[in-house]
Amino acid sequence: MKVNPLEPMKAKITEIETMTEIEKLITIKLHDREYAESFSYTPGQFVTLGVMGVGEAPISICTAQNDELELEFCIRNAGRVTNAIHKLKVGDTVWGRGPYGNGFPMDVYEGNDLLLIAGGLGIAPIRGVLQYALQNREKYGDISVLYGVRCYDLMLFKDDMLDYFRNGDRHGVKFYLSYEDKEDQVCYGLACERDDRCMHGMVTDLFKKIDRPSKKTYAIIGGPPIMYKFTIMQLEKLNFRPERVYMTLERRMRCGVGQCGHCIVGTGKSIKYVCKDGPVFTLWDAMNTKGMI
Amino acid sequence: MLVKVLAKSSFSSFVGALGDYGDLYAPVKTSEKVHSFKEIESLTDIDLSYTRTMIPPKKFFIHPEEVIFEFNIDEELYIEPPGGDERIVLFGVHSCDINALNLLAKVFTEELPDKYYLERKERSFIVGVSCVPDEYCFCHSTGTSYAQEGFELFLHDIGDSYFVRVGSLKGHEFIATHPSLFEAAEQSHYDSFKDAERKMYASFTNELEMAGLQDLLDMAYESEVWTEYGDKCLGCGSCNLVCPRCRCYDVEDHINLDLNTGERVRKWYSCMLSEHGLVAGGHNFRPTARERIRNRFNCKGSLREDMPNCVGCGRCTVFCPAEIDYVEVMKKVRGDLK
Repeated sequence: MKVNPLEPMKAKITEIETMTEIEKLITIKLHDREYAESFSYTPGQFVTLGVMGVGEAPISICTAQNDELELEFCIRNAGRVTNAIHKLKVGDTVWGRGPYGNGFPMDVYEGNDLLLIAGGLGIAPIRGVLQYALQNREKYGDISVLYGVRCYDLMLFKDDMLDYFRNGDRHGVKFYLSYEDKEDQVCYGLACERDDRCMHGMVTDLFKKIDRPSKKTYAIIGGPPIMYKFTIMQLEKLNFRPERVYMTLERRMRCGVGQCGHCIVGTGKSIKYVCKDGPVFTLWDAMNTKGMI
Repeated sequence: MLVKVLAKSSFSSFVGALGDYGDLYAPVKTSEKVHSFKEIESLTDIDLSYTRTMIPPKKFFIHPEEVIFEFNIDEELYIEPPGGDERIVLFGVHSCDINALNLLAKVFTEELPDKYYLERKERSFIVGVSCVPDEYCFCHSTGTSYAQEGFELFLHDIGDSYFVRVGSLKGHEFIATHPSLFEAAEQSHYDSFKDAERKMYASFTNELEMAGLQDLLDMAYESEVWTEYGDKCLGCGSCNLVCPRCRCYDVEDHINLDLNTGERVRKWYSCMLSEHGLVAGGHNFRPTARERIRNRFNCKGSLREDMPNCVGCGRCTVFCPAEIDYVEVMKKVRGDLK
């Protein structure tokens, strides 16, 4: 077992799926079997994924824990490290450390309804929450998903998402989709297919489509920074209590263990490290930590 | 607390004995305004009358730049560089800096112990020395003008001799192996020690009221004070480098010309640089000097590690090229200054 928390662990890429022009779904298997077996995580936790000679970047795990000992990451080609990862092939080596962060408290949500709200790449950690909830379907009440995309071409996890969209009721999830590009023919087709579940607009517009959430609902948000403000306004209109709203945050990180200082948020009253105190926070945390959202 | 007395006449023998433990580092005057902890060749190099060094002693534990792994791409290996076995003596460290090291130790050793920090701490011998505050010192405000722990020996100047507090087993062993250097402390020594402390405490001219500062910083989040000083700030990051408590680091992979081997390097970093809050894709969580300076002062004022993140050493004020005065900014936050 490793003794140096900064030491990267070897992993092989077992599968690569090109999802969009800029996003790939990368599946990896950790090399050290003992480490892989001890690798226990909850949705919302992340790994620092690296390429030797290039560097490391924090990437959230987009699956729920499974027996395959494989981990999936939805990786947008957005920076130096992710660009290098995009150039790798099946069988190539990547390096990981983690899992880091707190993750979503799936046990806290038990016995409650779930309203999952995701925009863009924010669907990656939310997908793990959804998988977990569906694997343990009996532990949760109603599950609704609001997913906002810019257009069909940029939709992530298309197979999964379209399956939830079309057959969601069988899986036990009400799946709603919004698209921003009015000219998008495929999305328009989906809206014609189920006009009660799909519409043109922002993800926040989907609040018009859903039934009023019960008092026993936890809202769980994943998306770009700008999305939080508008989503929270909608949730406040529905009288969500701030401790019933969860969100996951993005920040620059170098270590993942609360040392390098990059991910710091808050004021003298409320300093937090997104890497170890988060990346999952409640709205109550955000209300008490200026600059968090 | 074990206490001994060291006669000043034994000073050179004492320093010589310290040198037996390991390489001896002490404050040396390197230019008119700058002192630095340097390796000591001759006793006369040591200047214990210094107020502060420019670079704090954190440099001995978290190096400004250090290789944390060597790697080999073909062999798929990250190799930890050998830790080294050199032992060091830091002689003449002030209370503020010892308290700062105690704070660093919390971050680097408590939850996920940093092996590089731990190894170096293990091989060090810290000797504190009492000091006389200048117009920039405000460690009495931050509660760090006295070091309770984090040293082997602490020397308080009481005139003809030093009142020596023993802070660790290593310190005790040093005394036990050099019995001729020390004498037992008598009542008069205790009295002189208390007098000296009282005098030191009374000589502060700079002061920062700390009570409730965390709430006041929170309330000042949208204050104009951040625009005012953000506009002054040059974004050079000097304040971070000279701060004994700043510990942000960056990590870089350096690849050699063979495109196969290289090093992962960790180096000091600064929250006042624009890239500190930048993420891939171009979003910057602290895009202007206003957000960055606000973040720095909030971080300094926080009690996140159970004590203030500032030890009142005055370095950031003394070495700021834009002449931003830390205490002045905090006083504006408090509303003591308009």
